[in-house]
Amino acid sequence: MSLLHSRGQARIDCNLTPLIDLAFLLIIFFILVTRMSGDQSPPVALPAPTHPAMKPAGTQSRLTVNVEVDGSQTVVSLGARRFAAGERGHEELAIALARRIRSDPTLPVDIRADRTLPYSAIEPTLRSIAHAAATAGSGKITVRVCALERDEGTNE
Amino acid sequence: MNRRRAAEGFSLQLAMTPMIDVVFLLLVFFVCTVRFERGEAVYQLDLPARGATADPLALQDPPVQVILTSTSISECSIELKAQGVSRRVDDFNALAITLEQLRRRVGSADGLFDSAHPILVVPSPSTPWQHAVEGFNAAVRAGYQNIGFAESRSS
Repeated sequence: MSLLHSRGQARIDCNLTPLIDLAFLLIIFFILVTRMSGDQSPPVALPAPTHPAMKPAGTQSRLTVNVEVDGSQTVVSLGARRFAAGERGHEELAIALARRIRSDPTLPVDIRADRTLPYSAIEPTLRSIAHAAATAGSGKITVRVCALERDEGTNE
Repeated sequence: MNRRRAAEGFSLQLAMTPMIDVVFLLLVFFVCTVRFERGEAVYQLDLPARGATADPLALQDPPVQVILTSTSISECSIELKAQGVSRRVDDFNALAITLEQLRRRVGSADGLFDSAHPILVVPSPSTPWQHAVEGFNAAVRAGYQNIGFAESRSS
């Protein structure tokens, strides 16, 4: 008869308390750092100025116009809605923007454009925004340019 | 007698298993959905009225033009043009310093332009957006408030 059997069955207890503590800490961390605003901004390589002098974007509602590179073509989107490339897409963007501006003229229009795009690819979007503001009858709308806050990773 | 025995044997136990299940589910959800990104900030843009919206009778100061000509992200030619001023600067830091020197401070006779004087960033069609925003940023750094992008000009 072995010693183990003489003492009865061995019980292995797993101490769950530190595990649960850690899990809760991680959950609290992720709740704090996750944005649940439903902001459907696609990831865009925004310009990163060397000595930035801009203001924080804030958490207020905004209309986001994204200008991205997709393969060889430039894609413009308003929030999650994408528009066809070319002049027709910019016309549709102006119509959609005008509708949104008419319903709430206080909403700022933010331009999120890829830093590598030439100005000629972004200028039609600026024109569409100006055209939308004029169509909506809004004398002055707030248009903002988005850039990255810090200059990490950029060459001075 | 039976009831008392039953009551003595009763012990309250917290069922941990479902709680741990939920906790881990939440943990996996957050780990999968979290995105670590650098924060975004914004520049207020004074979008010039284009085409039919422009008021031809409006009296406006001729803007200071920041003319940018570039074909790649690594180099950019910067030229400053205004009434009586035409200067070429080496980089965006020098542009910010020059613009600041040209700005008239409150209570001082030095400087040519108010902080409300319009500044127009004029990039060539091939200028990368990065440089256009750098030019804009230099004007903001120099203390100007009325800054916009102009129609592009051919290099």
